[in-house]
Amino acid sequence: MQPIRRVEAAPVRHVINFGDNRDSAMPQQLSILEPSSELDRLRETLGIAVPNIDTARAAAATFRQQLEGDLLGLTSEDASIVLFGSLAREEFTSGSDVDWTLLVDGIANPKHLEVALKTESFLERIGARGPGREGIFGNLAFSHEIIHQIGGEDDTNSNTTKRILLLLESRPLGRRDAFDRVLNQVLRRYIGEDARFLQASAQFHVPRFLLNDFARYWRTMAVDFAYKRRARAGEGFAIRNIKLRMSRKLIFVSGLLSCFSGHVLLSDPELSALICTPDAPSEFVRHLRRVFAQTPLEIVASVINRYEHLRPVGVQLFSAYDAFLGVLRDDKRRAHLENLKPEAENGDDIYQELRRASHSFRDAVQTLFFDEGSGLNQLTRTYGIF
Amino acid sequence: MESSRRSAIGFSTGAIAYSEFSRGLELLRDQNIKVVEISALRMGEWAPLIQALDDLDLSAFDYVSIHLPSAMNAAEEKVVVQSLEPIQDRKFPLILHPDAIHDFAVWRAYGGLVCVENMDMRKLIGRTEPELAAIFRELPDARLCFDIGHAAQVDPTMTEAYFILKRHRERVTQIHVSEVNSRSKHDSLSYATMQSFRDVAHMLPAGLPIILETPVAPERMPEEMDKARYALGMSAASGLMAYS
Repeated sequence: MQPIRRVEAAPVRHVINFGDNRDSAMPQQLSILEPSSELDRLRETLGIAVPNIDTARAAAATFRQQLEGDLLGLTSEDASIVLFGSLAREEFTSGSDVDWTLLVDGIANPKHLEVALKTESFLERIGARGPGREGIFGNLAFSHEIIHQIGGEDDTNSNTTKRILLLLESRPLGRRDAFDRVLNQVLRRYIGEDARFLQASAQFHVPRFLLNDFARYWRTMAVDFAYKRRARAGEGFAIRNIKLRMSRKLIFVSGLLSCFSGHVLLSDPELSALICTPDAPSEFVRHLRRVFAQTPLEIVASVINRYEHLRPVGVQLFSAYDAFLGVLRDDKRRAHLENLKPEAENGDDIYQELRRASHSFRDAVQTLFFDEGSGLNQLTRTYGIF
Repeated sequence: MESSRRSAIGFSTGAIAYSEFSRGLELLRDQNIKVVEISALRMGEWAPLIQALDDLDLSAFDYVSIHLPSAMNAAEEKVVVQSLEPIQDRKFPLILHPDAIHDFAVWRAYGGLVCVENMDMRKLIGRTEPELAAIFRELPDARLCFDIGHAAQVDPTMTEAYFILKRHRERVTQIHVSEVNSRSKHDSLSYATMQSFRDVAHMLPAGLPIILETPVAPERMPEEMDKARYALGMSAASGLMAYS
């Protein structure tokens, strides 16, 4: 087994408060309690080495720590810098884009643009690769659209992407107030407006509104893949194809598991206790916040860790994903993939190796979702198809 | 959601008579309001209040609490604590901002008289259920002044308010009510805020004193009290037709 590279915990920061209370007895910002790593547990239970996943996690933590220190002062109670993509998923490699947005939830202030520009120039200065060309990241995002425009004509592709990725792959830097508020509000809408699923009489306690939006986003990504292939005349097709099969699919997988989490991550007494509380929607929002505080890989690991009979599936799934990250970590092979022409794919060893890994990943995912012992098969049949 | 329980409603003197507690008390007496929080939010207001306290006629009030200065340095904290000694037998609940505490030990001595207030989003402690739990670990006998406006500002979905009340409900001694706007200033209750408050009104212990911190003119005080009753599920919207 590969040795685990431990990352030093970030020191608790003493942020200057207002007023005369600067030497107050309590630390000015309590450290956020990170959940214990399901991936560390998984490595032990499965007895496999996932060196590429481990390295990418450590790289993400180190890079985020560097950003945390330098960008802290740009955030406020109204504005959080939020990381997305591989950095938030802890799958960071030297070729990864740094996807970020300045999430504003507060009084409109023209200076917020300056904060965004300062963030951008800082990232450029340290040599970070900028966000993708779609323009979804690397700028300002406002809470009102994200919270209010769920569905309907004004829920643009960009708005859906921001909202779903806020839930499934995001990490705040510095002050997280705006980030927490927006996440709570978005979840409150999905759960509060669909609260029938929390009635004790419901057969399953699955938030269908939320699940449908995850499914919609997954299908949108798949359709946009075809759009980009046409619009960009095949440029970057190979790497996008592999990412769709692996990391994009993983996001959807983790989203589905989160929706099923009342059944697959909570025990029956825990679920019953949650439903019987005076405010089940608030309890479920809090439960989902805990789930979404983990990375997509951690969410999958938490399910595998819970069911002993799923270990072989776990080995297959995580080995395939590790192989995928192994190629992305290798600058030469990644560059090869980025420049590969569609017509050369059939005879290309690297592409074919990754395609095989993606098939193994797909098969493992299918076995997982149609597993009887965990009850996932029933949930998938009921919610995953029609 | 409406409850038949009748909690008494009053005002903070600071809300209705900025920096003038005597004037605030007079305004409340004039309207036969029997619940008051005497406010000395700024350090400069503390000594005058302590000096005047023995001479204040508080006989018209059923409930009196004292809001301690919201910002103190360590030396000022000592002064405030010392000045409380002569009045501790009067058992006034002492409303204290957690970030103003420099030495927990001195406050521990006041046990259940200390009411820690949950904070607005400008502060970096005391805003949420776990942050309050950390403070109550230091002050195990302290009570809670539940500021529902602060809780709504920190999390407008009221999820945080729900969890604060779920975990710390037994400690609640009084309730602060106001709209807390995006600049963290107290304001008159808006419709959206009243609806948010109603989401957790069922979690509030019955019969607790309610202190309005909304800065309103004397003639608007009855209307603001009606809005608070509606927001806390103590009345239907009668008298508040605009909101029904």
